[in-house]
Amino acid sequence: MTAASLKTTPITATAGNACALGVRDLSVNFGGLQAVAGVGFEAAAGRITSVIGPNGAGKSTLFNLISGAIRPTGGRVTLDGVDVTGRSPDRLLAAGLARSFQITNLFFELPVLENLRIAAQVLERPWHALRPVGHSRRALAKADALLERFGLSAKARELAGNLSHGEQRRLEIAVALAAEPRVLLLDEPTQGMSHGDTADTGALIRSLAGDLTVLLIEHDIGLVMSLSDHVVVMAQGRKIAEGPPAVVRADLAVQAAYFGHG
Amino acid sequence: MPEATTLRTLSDPGHAGPASRLSRLAPVHWLALIFLVAALGFAAVAWATGNGFYLRLATEALIFAGLAMSVDLLLGYTGLLSLGQALYFGLGAYVSALVLRDVAPSFWLAMAAALLAGGMAGLIGGVIANRVKGVYFALITFGLAQVAAKTVYNTRALGASDGLIGIPQIRVGFGPVSLDTADPLSFFLLVLGLTVTAYAGLSYLMDAPFGRTLAAIRANEKRVPFLGFNAWRYKLAVYVLAACVAALAGALYPMLRGFVSPELMFFETSGNAVITVIVGGVGTLVGPVMGSLLLTALRSVVGSWTEHHLIVVGVIFMLSVIFLRKGLVGALLARLSRRGEAGRTAP
Amino acid sequence: MAELIDYLQFVLAPQALNGLSLGVAVVLMALGLTIIFGLLDVINMAHGEFYAMGAFLALTLAGLGVGFWALLVLVPLLMLPIGWLAERWLIARVFHSRDRHILTLLLTFGLGMILEDLLKLVYGPNTQRPENPIEGGTEILGMFLPNYRLFLIGFGLALIAAVWLVVFRTGLGAMVRAAAFDKDMASSLGVPVRRVYAGTFAFGVALAGLSGVLLAPIYSVFPTMGRDFILMAFTVVIVGGMGSIQGAVVAGLLLTQVQALSSLYISPVWSDPLVFGIMVLVLMVRPQGLFGRLGHA
Repeated sequence: MTAASLKTTPITATAGNACALGVRDLSVNFGGLQAVAGVGFEAAAGRITSVIGPNGAGKSTLFNLISGAIRPTGGRVTLDGVDVTGRSPDRLLAAGLARSFQITNLFFELPVLENLRIAAQVLERPWHALRPVGHSRRALAKADALLERFGLSAKARELAGNLSHGEQRRLEIAVALAAEPRVLLLDEPTQGMSHGDTADTGALIRSLAGDLTVLLIEHDIGLVMSLSDHVVVMAQGRKIAEGPPAVVRADLAVQAAYFGHG
Repeated sequence: MPEATTLRTLSDPGHAGPASRLSRLAPVHWLALIFLVAALGFAAVAWATGNGFYLRLATEALIFAGLAMSVDLLLGYTGLLSLGQALYFGLGAYVSALVLRDVAPSFWLAMAAALLAGGMAGLIGGVIANRVKGVYFALITFGLAQVAAKTVYNTRALGASDGLIGIPQIRVGFGPVSLDTADPLSFFLLVLGLTVTAYAGLSYLMDAPFGRTLAAIRANEKRVPFLGFNAWRYKLAVYVLAACVAALAGALYPMLRGFVSPELMFFETSGNAVITVIVGGVGTLVGPVMGSLLLTALRSVVGSWTEHHLIVVGVIFMLSVIFLRKGLVGALLARLSRRGEAGRTAP
Repeated sequence: MAELIDYLQFVLAPQALNGLSLGVAVVLMALGLTIIFGLLDVINMAHGEFYAMGAFLALTLAGLGVGFWALLVLVPLLMLPIGWLAERWLIARVFHSRDRHILTLLLTFGLGMILEDLLKLVYGPNTQRPENPIEGGTEILGMFLPNYRLFLIGFGLALIAAVWLVVFRTGLGAMVRAAAFDKDMASSLGVPVRRVYAGTFAFGVALAGLSGVLLAPIYSVFPTMGRDFILMAFTVVIVGGMGSIQGAVVAGLLLTQVQALSSLYISPVWSDPLVFGIMVLVLMVRPQGLFGRLGHA
């Protein structure tokens, strides 16, 4: 495939990797400003798809559109082939789509474990909301497992607001995972992390793929190129290229818009 | 440390599993238990000395404690300031009075009718009020209650500014036994029992995942939908619940006083409930009960010296807002935990 | 046709003029409220008591021989330090906590309670009627109008215009608007934000006090006089858009006309529920009100 053809032909899912999340012609404008304009791509099941682009490219707005935070003015979002465009975040979560936030968005005045327990509560039957917390065994087990996996066990009873920045970023991802989604949107998970933490988080995201379809916004290009199966490049609200990391890196248009030369 | 502690952690012993839950009663519940013993002791003394006046005063304090608890459900647990909770209290009182006077002198029928009316009005009011957030929520609840209060005040069929008088005293049947609302001790014990039941039931609910989701809404409402919860439905549910609690408390009022008046719906009543919650301890449920008794006692004592008790209450209220963010109960618990867990390292 | 003209001249027009004089007074109250909300995000529940305080101060000073014209200057000046201290001692204390909207509302609510009881303590609960400073009446278009009401309308409108000029045309107003838009940015640009906050609160309180002086001759003076009036002012601020000066003026004049003219057709006791119904409706449909917020418009 040439770089030019990447821009026009949508990627068809490879065999065995059906499209888990489909975005077609997605658009929104805020008072005349076209924040996202006709963006379309497909995220293959079990793979990591990254969205990159310079600041103001519309990446976070794209996430907000997909996750139901903002209603699109045009286009479609499909989850496993089902049209979920314009659904509210809670209904999207029920359909299997979860997200994390670029700016840490936790329950800062609640304990770490309680953050995870609340996030895992949707695994329980609705009437468990009226039974003692101890009866929500699945949610509690899930919360414990996530504490373990994210190295937060020692901080379980600490208030989320008292964690270090790196720990809060980890908790942010753990909370998004607690509902056992099939599609996970991660908005700059390594934002503000140290170099070592970034590498750890990268390994963690890699380990998530397989069971999970990951859509990632990330500024660390090295991390994106090493992690992703597929990269979508945005600039000024539009998709300017997509393809496997190596192809995207070689794309002249991408270099011009993003890497600042070429 | 006390500043950083959240409302939830006062009643939440961390993440105790079912086993440790049984063996450990949260400190706030100990406070409630001590309160109950004290209330029974008070009843015994008042009965022995034949003092019906103070029993009736205490009963009234408990009735208004029910209203304050309903404010606490919204303010302390969900972060919603209602300035119009008297709407549901007054509604319960009027419905109860009408049932007792015109339908049948049945305690249970009056309570059921008040519950139904409170629930339905709460549903309507909740749909209206939950369209907005923050101070706008406070103002819209205030406006709703004003519309209702002024309407009642102008409605001749409801006695207009005079209210309804001549509500009969009734017998309350519990299977084979029954008690008389005219007897100060019996009615005090009945209202005490209902208050304790309400406290226990609401505490349970607020510690169940339902109530903890409300705490999540209070802490960070924007994140809640992304965890699969419909925040609007939760807020509506707790609003209806609070309306029901307020209506049930209100339903007891005409049984005690034999009349209802539009003042029960006015802003003074709503405002007093908010004061009670803040002074007693927001987000504790037992705080509103203790606050109501404390303030009633205070008004009665100060009132015997001067009619200007509002200055005293106002000063206490403002001091609580500034210095005691968790009110009386918070201060007591902080003292208890400092003594009990002196060795524990603060987070 | 003649009947219609009679109706307009003898029924509708006097009612509308009555509404206008009330409207100007309500706008003065609402201006203070909305400026305080626009800048500090504070719902000043004690505003009605500051208004009553102004009226009582005027009463006391008049008893000491101070003339009406001097009162119009003296009372607001005396209210300024009271407002300043209330902001520094109460509002500023909780201003940086997360629940400040609720906490400041509660604090001013408590303050209002104390002030009202203090007025009762000092002046007693009874109603007092100050002398009318401008006697007589004028005939306009066949209507007889009390001179004081005409003065009130004229003075009030001039005052509203003056407030407008201060906020939108002076350096002081620019500082206030900058602080309302973004206090951190304003602070970095050298705006003394803390003093602007206290000063604005004091200014709003002084306006409330001045309204008290102006309305005392019409509505008489008693400790709870602020209560009913403040409800109307709140409704005006909400309908106009919390923090909007234009909104307070437009909504104030509009709502008082609704109230005045509706009382021709429905019993006046229903005008309160009507006005509150409008407030609830506006909050439901357009919580930001008719106009945008100070500094954000």
